[in-house]
Amino acid sequence: MPAAFLTVFLAYPLGVLGSHVVDPTGWTRLVAASTWHVVPLALVQASASTILAVAVGLPIANVVSRYGFRGRALAQAAVTVPFVLPTVVVALAFRSLLGPGVPQGFVLVVLAHAYVNLAVVVRIVGSQWAQHDPNFENVARTLGATRWAAFRTVTLPTLRPAIASSASVVFIFSFTSLGIVLLLGDASTRTLESQILRQTSVLLDFPGAAATAVVQLVLVSSVLAAGMLASRRSTRRRMRPVTLRPVPSDPAGRIGVLGTAAITLAIVTAPVAALVVTSFRAAGSWSLAWWTGVTSVDAGTSRIGSPLSALATSLAFAVICAVVACVVGGLAAVAVLTHGRTRVMSLVAIVPLGISSATLGLGTLLAFGRPPIDLRGSGLLVPIAHSLVAVPLVVAVVAPALLGADARPMAVAASLGARPTRAFLTAYGSVLRVVMLASAGLACAVSLGEFGAASFLTRAGSPTVPVQIVRLLSRPGEQSYGVAAVLAVILVILTLSIVLLVDRLGTGRLRPRTAAA
Amino acid sequence: MTVPRVETQALTIGYPGRLVAAGIDLVVLPGEIVAIVGPSGSGKSTLLSTIVGVVPALGGTIRVDGRAVTTVPIHERGVGLVFQEPLLFPHLSVQDNVMYGLRRQGTTKEEARRRSAELLEWLDLPGYGDRSVDELSGGQAQRVALARALAPRPAVLLLDEPFSALDTELRQRLALDVAATLRREGVGAIHVTHDPKEAADMADRVVAMTDFSRP
Repeated sequence: MPAAFLTVFLAYPLGVLGSHVVDPTGWTRLVAASTWHVVPLALVQASASTILAVAVGLPIANVVSRYGFRGRALAQAAVTVPFVLPTVVVALAFRSLLGPGVPQGFVLVVLAHAYVNLAVVVRIVGSQWAQHDPNFENVARTLGATRWAAFRTVTLPTLRPAIASSASVVFIFSFTSLGIVLLLGDASTRTLESQILRQTSVLLDFPGAAATAVVQLVLVSSVLAAGMLASRRSTRRRMRPVTLRPVPSDPAGRIGVLGTAAITLAIVTAPVAALVVTSFRAAGSWSLAWWTGVTSVDAGTSRIGSPLSALATSLAFAVICAVVACVVGGLAAVAVLTHGRTRVMSLVAIVPLGISSATLGLGTLLAFGRPPIDLRGSGLLVPIAHSLVAVPLVVAVVAPALLGADARPMAVAASLGARPTRAFLTAYGSVLRVVMLASAGLACAVSLGEFGAASFLTRAGSPTVPVQIVRLLSRPGEQSYGVAAVLAVILVILTLSIVLLVDRLGTGRLRPRTAAA
Repeated sequence: MTVPRVETQALTIGYPGRLVAAGIDLVVLPGEIVAIVGPSGSGKSTLLSTIVGVVPALGGTIRVDGRAVTTVPIHERGVGLVFQEPLLFPHLSVQDNVMYGLRRQGTTKEEARRRSAELLEWLDLPGYGDRSVDELSGGQAQRVALARALAPRPAVLLLDEPFSALDTELRQRLALDVAATLRREGVGAIHVTHDPKEAADMADRVVAMTDFSRP
């Protein structure tokens, strides 16, 4: 079943997309200058975003992963917040923080991308750094290296695979960014993703959009492959159990560690706080006007639609996405368990990185949005596209939990006469209940925040919340901006609640029962 | 009068809020190997960490070749350190590991290569320079760690149970090789060990530390 789902809803749309490029006119499109002229802009923007995210992320990774201090867990969790927030929410939060006086463009886009992706660098590099024995640096220092030289010549080379891996992920996220580029960018910050949307919705140039999507797919796959290669080129390292170091006793070291933690918290919370403030400010004073007006703004026009109905649409899509992703992903994880294909699992988990949401949305639109198969009226296209993004996440959550569970009760149950399904549930039922709940939460969070595919597939009268936010922001007026901020705050609350719930499930009740013997 | 390689006077060691030992007077002469034995928690490793500069001294003075280094940064003390594990830099070859300290001193590449080859020869690893550190056995890796520590000609070498992870036969052979190399180089050494036999075999003097916290 998972294979059939992925074949119909992933392989087929991508095939349809590719078929637009295979014919002679498609090939002309592929090599045309108009297809490629955005590439240098996107490369420069993604490179700058990556450099900034790594430069800011490294000192934070050093502090939150290596030193023990009060508030460390809070700082570590706070860094993750921007990453789980929907990108249009982040973009709006940045606009709220910096105010209307700051011109949109390159700097703003790069700042927002670095903000969102800080967690990628901190998590990937931090986990490596935490296991790096500090005595390597002590040895280097006894050999005459200054503190900086020891870091540059010993620590940094050890971390290089993790840095390369995180940098490639940040680069891809920035290179394929859509929501942030649309809301914070200008002509100098277009990405291939925004170009695909423009070609589809403004120029109605579907073959051109298909050619751009193929170019993006090839470039992203290349970066992904290079990142995997670089992270694989690691020498065997001495790893040790993670033990947190005390905060240095000298004033400079103390200020360095605690100051970095404080600045991290300030950086992470400032845009979200500004967003919340914006939702309560109207005509220069504190007001609940936007919150009370969330049901009525433009309720009569089909162009924008009611903000509250957008919330209802998003929630309905999130539920469908969760059900589909959990069924398909859960069955795929069971297949991984029963066939022992752990490599397949890691491959499945990484596939969506290479396929951008706009590519997915465009492919789905071309395959199922017009005759002979026209599903636009069914309202299923958006949740199906969201499910495709969520399925790998579900597999990544469920499969390791199943692989870590004790399989022996299954054999015992079977020996006592239980049918295969009953025997399976005897061994894995309790684990499955927890991980499927966590997976459903993750799928909901993905669906609630997803913008790229939804922007292609949403019908005019029933937008999702992120699409609604972008539509509201495209109109002038304080009311549109205020109501967009309210919707964004609601998304922040929903997303963080779900992520917190999933985190609690993951760290509390989900403890894989490994064989004691 | 011979200037000691390392000399501590009324040295107090410990961590903020935790005193480990106080009033330590220790002298190590050129080419002399002093073994320190004592129960776990008596402060042997803390003493080494304090002399090398990883842990700040709580009181007293440390002199290296007659120079007061109590507040001098680690990289300027001229004190070498070898841990229980070799901690070879994994991204460098054997030769580059041995040359690391020499390059930090500004020694030319040619001179650093010559010195590296000489030390590897003395420590029974001739021709190993181009190898990856991943290819070495435990004993070989510890020899390379020793060569790396000796290469920049430290005044004193601190050995923190460097042989404890090796089997008995290898440990005895390596201890004798190391002792010979240290004497040949004229380096003073403080050797922390749990093994009284190893201490007696290798050292010129044996010093016992007791648990300061126990009455």
